[in-house]
Amino acid sequence: METLTPKLCLRGVEKTFWDKKGRATPVLDQVSFDVRDQEFLVLLGPGLCGKSVLLQLIAGLDEPTAGQILLDGQPIQGPTPKVSMVFQKTGLLAWKTVLENVEIGPKYAGVPREERRRTARRFIEMVGLAGFENAWPRQLSGGMKQRVGIARAYAAAPELLVLDEPFGALDAQTRYVMEEEILRIWEQEKKTVIFVTNNIEEAVYLGDRVVLLSSCPARVKNVYPIRLPRPRDMLSAEFLALREEISAAMDLSV
Amino acid sequence: MKNKRPLWYYLLPLVSLVLVLVGWLYMAAAKPLLFPSPAETWQRLIKLIEVPLARVPLYQHILISLRRVLGAVTAACVLGVIFGLLVGWSRTFRATLGSIFEILRPIPPIAWIPLITVWLGIGELPKMLIIFIGTFTIVVTNTYTGVAMVDPLTLSVGRVFGASRRQLLMEFVLPAALPAIFAGIRMAIGVGWAIVLAAEMVGASAGVGFLIFRGNELRDMPLIFVCMFIIGSIGALLSAGASWLERRLCPWRP
Amino acid sequence: MSELNERPVKVQVRQLTKKFGDLLVLDNVSFDIRKGEFLCVVGPTGCGKTTFLNLLTRLIEPTSGQLLIDGEPADARRHDLAFVFQESSAFPWLTVEQNIGFGLGIKHVPAAEAKKRVDRILELMGLEAYRKAYPGQLSVSSEQRMVIGRAFAMEPDLLLMDEPYGQMDIKMRFYLEDEVIRLWQQLGTTVVFITHNIEEAVYLAERVLILTNKPASIKEEVAIDLPRPRQVSDPRFIELRRHITEQIKWW
Repeated sequence: METLTPKLCLRGVEKTFWDKKGRATPVLDQVSFDVRDQEFLVLLGPGLCGKSVLLQLIAGLDEPTAGQILLDGQPIQGPTPKVSMVFQKTGLLAWKTVLENVEIGPKYAGVPREERRRTARRFIEMVGLAGFENAWPRQLSGGMKQRVGIARAYAAAPELLVLDEPFGALDAQTRYVMEEEILRIWEQEKKTVIFVTNNIEEAVYLGDRVVLLSSCPARVKNVYPIRLPRPRDMLSAEFLALREEISAAMDLSV
Repeated sequence: MKNKRPLWYYLLPLVSLVLVLVGWLYMAAAKPLLFPSPAETWQRLIKLIEVPLARVPLYQHILISLRRVLGAVTAACVLGVIFGLLVGWSRTFRATLGSIFEILRPIPPIAWIPLITVWLGIGELPKMLIIFIGTFTIVVTNTYTGVAMVDPLTLSVGRVFGASRRQLLMEFVLPAALPAIFAGIRMAIGVGWAIVLAAEMVGASAGVGFLIFRGNELRDMPLIFVCMFIIGSIGALLSAGASWLERRLCPWRP
Repeated sequence: MSELNERPVKVQVRQLTKKFGDLLVLDNVSFDIRKGEFLCVVGPTGCGKTTFLNLLTRLIEPTSGQLLIDGEPADARRHDLAFVFQESSAFPWLTVEQNIGFGLGIKHVPAAEAKKRVDRILELMGLEAYRKAYPGQLSVSSEQRMVIGRAFAMEPDLLLMDEPYGQMDIKMRFYLEDEVIRLWQQLGTTVVFITHNIEEAVYLAERVLILTNKPASIKEEVAIDLPRPRQVSDPRFIELRRHITEQIKWW
């Protein structure tokens, strides 16, 4: 595993925002880590620590102030079909049905209608929403909406998926169900995944590795390989010990 | 919760209606010259339907006013939405035409009446132009606000999934702004209906505004009352029509 | 804290039932809350917890059944009920101090007494430095702490908390959970805490009430007699957590 070339490299990534009066707010400070091919990498950090900003950079929605982000050795310049994203607030388009929402990736890539509908149906089925193709997003519960968000991200046929606190707005029980779902899909589809969360339990449950970020400006505090076999037991002694260890190292959000 | 709404809840609107009628009857009895009774008003309406005023039957008066409003408002909506979208979406467009619009916008449409009468006389076109000026600004302002308030998340979704700029505008920005646009259209119809009356009072030989003006000239109080009821009813019908259109065009909204 | 069963009963919930039209949401729920008790309510997603809470807060009327406080029917004019919701309900135009004192003003608590209580809460929560700040100047978590402080300052007959920490990260949650326990221990308030998070329930509660799936009724009451501060990795803690999780999954 260690010898594989990384899928994504972050090298000294910095991001600073300036307000109208010229005051600088550094958000990311010298962030460097690698993501291996087909890895499930979790980015863990306290609330408002710049995790989302980092994902924006990886998705090509914004540019770093300094440093480099290399995907397959190439710098990221703007959004690319290779990277797809699941948003915390789902970002479903209220004016499109479930099917129309899921097919937007292939649609904008120029895939013919019949083919992209087939793709969309396949992924809607994969997330367990067969039969809801023609529903409007507002008719779905929070968990179902995020399932659509996941189907949409996979339907775009990316090589790298970034998930920005996708389960942050769900209640604890729905969250456990969705965590198992996302692992099942990841094992089935074999894509590289970057998963952002502020929930330590979720991080230890999901990740091959957990990258712990500090509070703002975010730096990499530590990287934890999680060697527990899957499926993991959240109540096992090893699990709780690891959770406690990471908890102790994590900053309290400001 | 159908089980627990008391009967008087449904009776209340009736009660308020009766109160208004009683007040009306009382005023009619006290000042018969200023307040025609409901019976008188009703008789005047029947007479107006049977005997054309100024050689134009009542329904023609209504249709003529409606044609002026709907013609002008339709033009204002089509052009206003396009203009508003462009101002909201294109920085170049906003810089060039946006500022001119901002200077002209605060001039109330009624203030244009003398100028337009001098330039264009008192035919159909100048009346519709005045209505157009008054409603175009409303549609533009609402459309522009709608575009400016589109959730940045919506745009991020479009960009991540590879939408072109045109697709972003037509499939993301426009539908997201539709509720605001419709608020503008509904307002434009209401305001358009108000302006047509003002325009017709100044110089016209037919139309509902002309009728009420004539009622004033002849001190025909029942006629004025009849006209006001007609104006109110048609205004309500127009706004119901706009709501219907909105439901048809935005099926995703509850 | 004296033994739970020896304390007097503060709130009696008797055969509480709620129907919306023909849909039965809450079915014949009865239980007691002891004076100064910390009670957590857990249940499967969509089991009617919100309806349950709205009945306790008197926002909606039950179809049948009763809610008694100190033996009398609950009445907003006579009893003090305080709430904390997941969304912060701070008044942005008031300072921290004024926010915490707000309810006291409404209830006509004498100024000297009100000041004493506000000072005590500020001290207990370590918010003294922010006394003159506005909620907008605080972080989300500090704002929520202030709202919680405001509820405790009322010294209510019953304090209802609905997932107040739902959106916070775990570390902040641990911190705030300890703080709420400290406030509760110092002030002896009777608390009903609704949560989806079973670990949180076991960490906080003296007693956990497990609701069934819709229509909600009481499935089981679990007494949590672990010493405080509790350890989430304590085998007895884990055993209780497992048990409650099983009870919720098993519908």
